[in-house]
Amino acid sequence: MISQVFILSSKGDHLIYKDFRGEAGKDAVNKFYEMVTALTGGQPPVVMKHKELHFVHIRQGGLYWVATTKADASPFTIIEFLNRLTALVKDYCGCLSEKSVQMNFALIYELLDEVVDFGYIQTTSTDILKNFIQTEAVSSKPFSLFDLSNVGLFGADTQQNKVAPSAAATRPIVSSQGEQGGKNEIFVDVIERMSVVIGANGVLMKADIEGEIRVKCYMPSCSEMRIGLNEEFSIGKSQLSGYGAAVRVDECSFHQAVRLDEFDTYRILKVCPSQGEQTVMQYQLCDDLPTAPPFRLFPSIERDSGGRLLMYLKLRCDLPPKRSLPLLSLFSPSLFSSLSQELSSPDQSAELQPKNKAVHWEIPRFPGGAQLSALFKLEVSGLSAASLQEVGPVSLSFELPKYTSTGLQIRFLRLSPIQPGPSQRWVRYVTHSDSYTIRI
Amino acid sequence: MTDSKYFTTTKKGEIFELKAELNSDKKEKKKEAVKKVIASMTVGKDVSALFPDVVNCMQTDNLELKKLVYLYLMNYAKSQPDMAIMAVNTFVKDCEDPNPLIRALAVRTMGCIRVDKITEYLCEPLRKCLKDEDPYVRKTAAVCVAKLHDINAQLVEDQGFLDTLKDLISDSNPMVVANAVAALSEIAESHPNSNLLDLNPQSINKLLTALNECTEWGQIFILDCLANYTPRDDRESQSICERVTPRLSHANSAVVLSAVKVLMKFMEMLPKDLDYYGTLLKKLAPPLVTLLSAEPELQYVALRNINLIVQKRPEILKHEMKVFFVKYNDPIYVKLEKLDIMIRLASQANIAQVLAELKEYATEVDVDFVRKAVRAIGRCAIKVEQSAERCVSTLLDLIQTKVNYVVQEAIVVIKDIFRKYPNKYESVIATLCENLDSLDEPEARAAMIWIVGEYAERIDNADELLESFLEGFHDESTQVQLQLLTAIVKLFLKKPTETQELVQQVLSLATQDSDNPDLRDRGYIYWRLLSTDPVAAKEVVLAEKPLISEETDLIEPTLLEELICHIGTLASVYHKPPSAFVEGSRGVMHKRLPARTGSGEGTECPDVGNAAGGSAPEAAPSIIPSQGDLLGDLLNLDLPAVLLPLMGAGFGAAPAVMPASLNAPVGGGLGDLFDLGGGVGMPMGAYIPPKTVWLPAMKAKGLEISGTFARRAGVIQMELVLTNKAMSVMTDFAIQFNRNSFGLAPAGPLQVLTPLGPNQTIEVSLPLSTVGPVMKMDPLNNLQVAVKNNIDVFYFSCQYPISMLFVEDGKMERQVFLATWKDIPNDNESQFQIQDCHLNSEAASNKLQGSNIFTIAKRTVEGQDMLYMSIKLSNGIWVLAELKVQAGNPNYTISLKCRAPEVSQCVFQCYEAVLKN
Repeated sequence: MISQVFILSSKGDHLIYKDFRGEAGKDAVNKFYEMVTALTGGQPPVVMKHKELHFVHIRQGGLYWVATTKADASPFTIIEFLNRLTALVKDYCGCLSEKSVQMNFALIYELLDEVVDFGYIQTTSTDILKNFIQTEAVSSKPFSLFDLSNVGLFGADTQQNKVAPSAAATRPIVSSQGEQGGKNEIFVDVIERMSVVIGANGVLMKADIEGEIRVKCYMPSCSEMRIGLNEEFSIGKSQLSGYGAAVRVDECSFHQAVRLDEFDTYRILKVCPSQGEQTVMQYQLCDDLPTAPPFRLFPSIERDSGGRLLMYLKLRCDLPPKRSLPLLSLFSPSLFSSLSQELSSPDQSAELQPKNKAVHWEIPRFPGGAQLSALFKLEVSGLSAASLQEVGPVSLSFELPKYTSTGLQIRFLRLSPIQPGPSQRWVRYVTHSDSYTIRI
Repeated sequence: MTDSKYFTTTKKGEIFELKAELNSDKKEKKKEAVKKVIASMTVGKDVSALFPDVVNCMQTDNLELKKLVYLYLMNYAKSQPDMAIMAVNTFVKDCEDPNPLIRALAVRTMGCIRVDKITEYLCEPLRKCLKDEDPYVRKTAAVCVAKLHDINAQLVEDQGFLDTLKDLISDSNPMVVANAVAALSEIAESHPNSNLLDLNPQSINKLLTALNECTEWGQIFILDCLANYTPRDDRESQSICERVTPRLSHANSAVVLSAVKVLMKFMEMLPKDLDYYGTLLKKLAPPLVTLLSAEPELQYVALRNINLIVQKRPEILKHEMKVFFVKYNDPIYVKLEKLDIMIRLASQANIAQVLAELKEYATEVDVDFVRKAVRAIGRCAIKVEQSAERCVSTLLDLIQTKVNYVVQEAIVVIKDIFRKYPNKYESVIATLCENLDSLDEPEARAAMIWIVGEYAERIDNADELLESFLEGFHDESTQVQLQLLTAIVKLFLKKPTETQELVQQVLSLATQDSDNPDLRDRGYIYWRLLSTDPVAAKEVVLAEKPLISEETDLIEPTLLEELICHIGTLASVYHKPPSAFVEGSRGVMHKRLPARTGSGEGTECPDVGNAAGGSAPEAAPSIIPSQGDLLGDLLNLDLPAVLLPLMGAGFGAAPAVMPASLNAPVGGGLGDLFDLGGGVGMPMGAYIPPKTVWLPAMKAKGLEISGTFARRAGVIQMELVLTNKAMSVMTDFAIQFNRNSFGLAPAGPLQVLTPLGPNQTIEVSLPLSTVGPVMKMDPLNNLQVAVKNNIDVFYFSCQYPISMLFVEDGKMERQVFLATWKDIPNDNESQFQIQDCHLNSEAASNKLQGSNIFTIAKRTVEGQDMLYMSIKLSNGIWVLAELKVQAGNPNYTISLKCRAPEVSQCVFQCYEAVLKN
């Protein structure tokens, strides 16, 4: 049972405060801010306790979203709820920011009243709530250069055409006047996160993919949408047969609104998308990638005569040649005092980050099939044979647009009934690195 | 214009301006004004002065404006109860509105106005809304009953709302069912015995049907409610499990966890040889693994739960080791939890993989994480015997890096490895000794010293090594000092010729130059031992040590069972029972796992140990868990039981050098011995009330039972006299207690071995435990007993003197007493008079001590003795007392302070009983 819900800016300003059960005072808000800012690194901040009050919070859009409880409530419920709440606010106000929350406080209060009653969560479905909400959303400027929150996923690729404009997906879902030309748009995103560990001997030790299909719908009257996946899509190990380039995942879970009657035979998901954003399918694949991991590293580390550590890194991208990689950064934890480097191309850069004890190598463009190299010379105080062991793993972070590592594709996207007027359907793919580690 | 402007007005006449705007004729302007008011309210400004003006805006057909006004009302009604009455008429009218949204809004808001006067007006509209045709109104009304119950529980019962609420469980709309269940569950928590949620196979069936239809949040309410049900047998349990299992693939992790909770609980009842049991185990793994792909916040909460599940049923996740490998970008708190689970899952099958991972972690950047990883390697060595050698060589590699904190951690764990595998890895000692100088943490220094002392005969320069530590003896922490003392004594016993000087030096440092009582006492013990009987000293100090076992920091089984019943809740994150952090009546009920039916197995799963590493089953009872606290370890180890008789003899002739302050608190088990030696008289026996007749023969077909309660040597006993006044022989006696305030339960069967013939009497004493189920009784010390024999079952109730629950270690430290006395609010203090008592304070104190009421301090003010006493009850409640005794006045005054003031009355009765007998 949720006792209070409040939203704080990163500076601790009260944006929204709602008390549901009258069992805790308003001073809890300041207490929370005090506690959360006083946390040190190692402490888990998820659940905090002050006297009889328990705080559960998440951070989204630079804001603290906090719920308190006095009972032995379920933190899962509360965290899920807070995540849904941010999604709702995003649906109704367009984007998540201090400004949009401030501008729409009356709307958010109204939402909170419908979503939670006496601490019991009622519903978090944008569709159902539409029937009850009276207040109109006030939209901030649709897109600004400084608002980078939406650039991360697809923005880096905007120079290439055929990609949806990034501002399109950040306007409020619910608008009665049909502003912005009332575009009938639907976005289907396939997002995959990859975690890979490659051992010092080049052996792939672990490769996991977590993926999801997310639908964001702006259509007011869409009764049914059919999403066709690859026909050879299979779930679980046992179904794998023959050599075919089967697209396989281990585990799959679906949103409860998804109907699966055609899934088994035709791999079609049937959804009645409510307006707003929802994740229709989540899947995982462990330890059995259909293709080789996209990057390989060939390190060699030695001591030179001058007592320096020489780190020669060769990085190969095993993606098909046409692809290119927008950004890659590389960390290599170690304890060094100074650095000199030779890189294979001028647009790359490398620096020493003493705080993280890491060397950071940034590669803005990396064509598929290419191989880049770098030589780092590092001054180490008191170099010994053991310091070689101290050089930690290399971690890569990257973002591959238009690429899914499982090979999952959307075959088609059909809407019924046929939409009156022009409608646009966007399908977007991206693979992120969740944790891509190569050991040395 | 946007709403954000509301936040920026800070002019002086603001309230005045708002007032004018609120009374404007234009609707738009009114609405804007109310918004401004609410914005001010949010940032914490006091706008309560506008109450009448805002309430005036309430009568409108504009729903948006109405909602805004209600928002304001909910916030300020409590501070202006008289004004709030003004709003009632509109509420009542709104409850009749044709628009269901307005009806629901009114009933929802009224419930949130926590003003007593309003509640009476709420009843009629609420009754109507509970039977409304619109489900939206009904579901809102269901919640409103819970709100009303929170304000005025009696009213809700009197008005019969609870019955209406129960009817709503059968409603056609699943949303209404879910809210009714939620409301009833909450109300039921404050009435533990009311049986409000009458869970039976029929109602369970209804809930399971609604489960498939309602929203995800409703599913959570229903699943949590199901978890409180105890199925009648394994078949019912299985059928519920089958219907709950589909929830495991839900996208909402809260639903998944609630389902896991239900399954973990009901699984307990399934026979293990059942096919379905295995299927269920397999089905539980994927959803748990899936949770780990969520945001770090959820991951952390999930890992804390998985930690519990792994301890209860390691077989579920034994093949999933890899998902617990840390990612470099995991937050540190996630990393540490994962590491913990990795060790719990480590077994011979996967140890190579785990060890390779751990070795990588030990070269990472984060110091806390590296330390924990090094420790984990040590724990693996202890847990999986086959891997010990590889673990040790890994640790040696790490020591070679010379990274300071890695070396220190490694030495601490190597000490534990030596404890587990004595005389096996001594070859590494040389390497360890090389790093002696770099050790600066007490724990590492102490561990190293222990190693040197333990293997002194194999280290040529052991005396030099230890001597080097001795130079800065007084700057070391206690842990190191104690360890050094023991190590040098060991060295002396092993190489007496060369080290006599050293041992004398350390003994004098420890006894004469130290203020630390633990150190001093240990010094004296060694001193006397060595001077009295070196052979005995050798036997004692170099005694065989018990092996340590691998199951470190396991959660104690009863707590684990309770936590399993709370999977997914805060309790599972804190790893504490809800009663430890939830106030009041809520959550105080202890949940238990159901017992398995059918096969005769106990609740413990016997293959836990097998799955966990194969070596657990042969763990003999003498094996103690290795403790993180080295000090604790050593105190326990180096003074095994053999020591005690020796000690007694030794103290008969206490040496003259013994400081006078020996009565200062002493550590460990030595306290008792000093007490004896110091000549404190044996305490008098505890007070035992005379036997009374509990069950007259008239009422029990000829069986008469009389008895009393006593506490003897720390054991509570019920002493019964059974008399057969009937004509026939009685056999097959058995006894059972109802749940009671302190969890009293028979610790064994009633020992009536021979048949009880006519006119025969038998005396039995029944030992009692205090770990039974708890329920508050009235009066508190009431006990309801059922006695069975071959004729019938008889019930009686009796009251026990609460003094038999006073435990022997109830003597509080003075400082603690003082702090606690201040800390307990004055409201919890109660005063009583004891009349006609002719003891002086000394005698009273002695008498009370016999019943474990300990006098901590005594003060004399103007001829009046003030005695301060402490009592500890078997359930951990402390009672503090102040007893005023005036010479010549037979009336004592006693003040009792306790965090649970209910017990005060009973405690007072004990005082009276003890003092007057």
